[in-house]
Parts: sequence; structure tokens; C-alpha cells
Amino acid sequence: MTEHVTYEYSPGAGAEELLAQHQDDPIHGETMRLNMGPQHPATHGVLRLMLELDGETMRSVTPDVGYLHRGKEKTCETLGWHRFFPHTDRLDYVQPLMNNVAYALAVEQLAGIEAPPRAQVVRVLLMELSRIMAHLIYFGTLGIDLGAVTLFFYSFNQREELYRILDAYTGHRMNNTYVRIGGVYADIDEGIESMIRSFLDEFPGHLEEMNKMVERNRIWIDRNRGVGVITAEEAQALSLTGPNLRGSGVEWDLRREQPYCGYETYEFDVPTGSVGDCYDRFLVRVEEMRQSARIARQALDRLKDVKGDVLLEDRRFVLPPRGDVHRSMEELIYQFKIVTDLRVPRGEAYHAVESSKGELGFYVVSDGSSRPVRCHIRAPGLMNVQAIPHVAGGRLFSDMVAIIGSLDFVMGEVDR
Amino acid sequence: MVVVERKELTLAERLYLPEIFRGMAITFRKLFAKRVTRQYPEEPLPTTEVTRGQPRLVVNDDGNIACVSCGLCEAACPAYAITIDGHETDRTIEREPERFDIDMLRCILCGFCEEACPKDAIFMSDELELADYTRQALVYNIERLKRPKSALQARIDYVYRLNDRWQSSSSTS
Ligand code: SF4
Ligand code: SF4
Repeated sequence: MTEHVTYEYSPGAGAEELLAQHQDDPIHGETMRLNMGPQHPATHGVLRLMLELDGETMRSVTPDVGYLHRGKEKTCETLGWHRFFPHTDRLDYVQPLMNNVAYALAVEQLAGIEAPPRAQVVRVLLMELSRIMAHLIYFGTLGIDLGAVTLFFYSFNQREELYRILDAYTGHRMNNTYVRIGGVYADIDEGIESMIRSFLDEFPGHLEEMNKMVERNRIWIDRNRGVGVITAEEAQALSLTGPNLRGSGVEWDLRREQPYCGYETYEFDVPTGSVGDCYDRFLVRVEEMRQSARIARQALDRLKDVKGDVLLEDRRFVLPPRGDVHRSMEELIYQFKIVTDLRVPRGEAYHAVESSKGELGFYVVSDGSSRPVRCHIRAPGLMNVQAIPHVAGGRLFSDMVAIIGSLDFVMGEVDR
Repeated sequence: MVVVERKELTLAERLYLPEIFRGMAITFRKLFAKRVTRQYPEEPLPTTEVTRGQPRLVVNDDGNIACVSCGLCEAACPAYAITIDGHETDRTIEREPERFDIDMLRCILCGFCEEACPKDAIFMSDELELADYTRQALVYNIERLKRPKSALQARIDYVYRLNDRWQSSSSTS
């Protein structure tokens, strides 16, 4: 029998003082255990939180993860290199293409290949659109958690526009699976390009409109400002990455620090916060959406100049073109070999991208066969969950939804 | 380093009431904006040749199934949705499937089978809707998967167009 292990976290900084304010409360000192989740809509999926409440103040919080565990890492070991792609979609399902790219980059690094220049531009474009998509979900769900239901509709409306674009480009709205080892499956043609361009023209206006409704709204500010403060040192100690780390004032963005897909050649700012509360994280994400739109526009402009294939010509990893398979025996053999027995050279590789939640990394180990020996996924969401007990201790119970919403994680990725 | 600005609230904003009206103004404007919702079953989303719906098997114009039961799609399927048993025939292609089942409940519409097929025998159709009373009824057998080539022609052309684009510099003849 396996024993269920729980860890007790100490309440975060300042919790004792906050609790002391409630000394006169007649029920002070008596604690109550409360379960939040795993089916609570405000826990963004299936996160279970065990709260110890003293009145309405949380004394301690113990997250319990694993309700959505589907064994993705192990699945990768049985499915093989190429067939794992659809599973990466389902990690952080609000930004499938970003996960695709992260995995493809790790395998490409192991295989010692690089996608052609045009594919890199397309990947950057897709990643930035994914980031906007994921941040819009954050925006909308944080709104609905804090009672701003209208905001949810506005942000999901914008997200819908992006889904239309992806539908026209990949044929699916979600779970696109359009990145391949050595490039992307299809090129972005003029039709899609103009769709993206008109979205990017409209989007900043819509974003400002949404932002206007909450950025300086008193309720929003009362519920976000000073809530869930993470200092820069704490954020680093908790291995937070992405907007949560930047919200605490640490300027760390993998697109800058370890550029991939040619990010060093794009112009963009890395917004950081100053206090590290929920409000800073909100501001950082809104600014990131603006910057993403800026990068996406640059990538669109580059598509005009950077011509060529979007998939590498390499018969070790990339399927031969369709017509050739009919004409040439040689290509037919490659077709069979790649589908049934795609081998990646022996070795190990780690590649991380700056996803909307933080550093999303894939660590893959190959023994030279058609299946990985190990595939580890460094999911930023797990670290974000890890920060909950630290910031929640001593706060009021109703702050919990703001904290969960602002840390922004997707359980598909946390539990894998 | 760009630090996001935390502006202090003005008096009007702190009073809150003016802000309510400003917010309501946005809501009111939306009343006259274009409707974005759609009455789904009556008004389905349009499908195009790009749409990756459920995979279907191609039946050639002569009435024979194009599949040679090579098993590549089965090997490529990440969801283990395809089951194939083949047998020999007298036709020139020599083999054809005796049983070709796709469990639509497992299928994730990824399109890997389409990509893997060396005989242009399986393509993603634009059929998306899937509902039935039993699980068994959603395991499609060969008869339910067959479609005339003409019904899938748009998708076939699209896939070939994609491949042409990759193949500006092909070395093989
Ligand atoms: S679309 Fe994907 S999951 Fe469905 S049968 Fe084809 S390979 Fe399998
Ligand atoms: S890959 Fe094509 S030819 Fe081979 S079994 Fe599948 S459908 Fe038939």
C-alpha cells in the first residue's frame, strides 16, 4: 500500500502578524480544515488545496497535485520520437503550438539539425500567437474568478479570433500538432498571413479596451494589489520563471538569455514588475501581450523576405514529399523507415523555451533507438503551484482565487 | 529593463461611481457591435480542405479500395486507433485490407495516418460530428470508412499542394 504523503508548508512571510490582528476574534485559534477542489472551478482544473482556516484567515495551504496525471513522460518512452507530438499539445492545452516547438527543439538539438530559416520565422509567429492566446485565458479566467464576468467574454472573444486563424491554418482549433522534427508541417500562405495581420491590427485596441475596464478599477485593485507578494529572492528560491518571476522584478526571459529560433534578432521589451504582487503579475502579462503582438508583426514582415521550405530536407527525420514516394522506390523505403523506425542519435539534450507560464523545457535522452530512454518535461506550472502555500499563508480565504489566478498554471502541464 | 507602471488612482476613480458609468459605456457599445456567437447545430462552422476531420479511406474510381494494407498508418497512429488485417488479392496491387477498423473514440484527428500512407489511401475528411449510443458503434469498420475519391479530392489536392511547396528543390526524379 502506498502512503499518501503530504507536506506541511510554513506560512509565508508576514503571516504571523496578519494572524495576530485577529487576536480578539472569538474563534481565533480554532482551526478548520477545508478542501478546495479538486473539482472547484476556481482552481483552474483539478488542483486540490487543503486549507487550514482560522476564521477566514488561511493558516496554511497544502496543494495536492496529480489528479490529472496521464503519464506523459512515460508515454513518450513507449510512443517514440515523432508520435509524441500530439501528447505535447495536451500538456498546456491553451498553447499547444508552443509545446510542439519546445519538444521539436529538444529533439532537433539531440539530432544536431536545425529547422530552415522560414520555419524558424513561422515558429516564432506561432509561439507569439500562442502566448497571446494563453495570456488571454489568464486574463479572462482571473476576471471571472474575481467576479468580473464580462471581462471573460471580451477576452474569450479575442481568443476565438485566434482560434479561427489556427483553424484556417492547421485545420484544428485546439491541439494542433503542426510542428514537426525539422520544421513545421505547412507554410503560412497569403490568406493566413492577411488573417493574422488583420488580427494584429485590431488586437491592441481590443486589449486596451479590456484593460481599461480593470486596470484602474477599484475593486480589481483592492483584490489584487498587495495580495500574494513574492519578493525577487523568494521567486528565485521557488524556481519561478516567466511572468511570475518577472512580476517580482527579476529580468529573466529565455528569449533574451538563451535565444532560440532567432529571437535575438527581434525587437521587444521584457516587462518586469516592482512589487511582486498579483497586480504586478497582471500588468506584466498585459504588457507581454502587447510585446507579443509586436514580435508577431515583425515575424509577419519577415515572412515576405525569408523564402524557402518550412521543412528540412533530411531523410533521417523528415518524411519524403508525397509525390516522390510514388515515383521512387528509394523514397518509399525512407517513408517506411521514418514512420516505423525514426532513430535519433545517442545522447541527451535539454531545450527550454519561454512559454506563457515560464521556462518550458524538454530533457530527452536517446540510446540511439527509435524510442527515447527518458523524456522529462520541465513544466513551469508545477513551480507556480509550488508558490501557492508560500504566498497564501495568513491571507484571507477570498484572496486564494486571486493568487491562484495570478500564478497562472494549467493542470494538464502540472500533472502531465 | 521596462518596469510596468503602477499608477495611483485619481479621485474620480476612487469614488467609483463615475467608473461604473465608464464601464457601462463599454458594455453599452457592445450591444450594437457585431454578434459573435453562433447557433451551433443549426449554423455549423464552415469546413475547408484544411479541416482535419475524421480519417476516411479512398475508394478509387474503379470501385476498388486504394489501401494495400501495408500497416504504416497503424504504425504511425499515436492513439493506437487503427487495426488492420490484410489479405492477398488477384488485383495488380496484390494486397487489400480484410479488416480496417478505426476506433473513432480513440482517434485524435492528428492526421499522422494521412501523412504516413504511401498509397494515398487514407485522408482526413471534413466530417467532424461524432455521436452514438454505444461505444461499439463508434468503432468504424471498413464499410463505414470508405468514401469515393471525389468526396476527398479537395483534401488530396491540398495535401499535394503542401508537398509541392516543400519540394522546390527535390533531388529525386
Ligand atoms: S488521425 Fe491520428 S489518431 Fe486518428 S487514426 Fe489517424 S493517426 Fe490515428
Ligand atoms: S498506410 Fe495507407 S495503404 Fe497502408 S494500410 Fe494505411 S491506409 Fe492502407
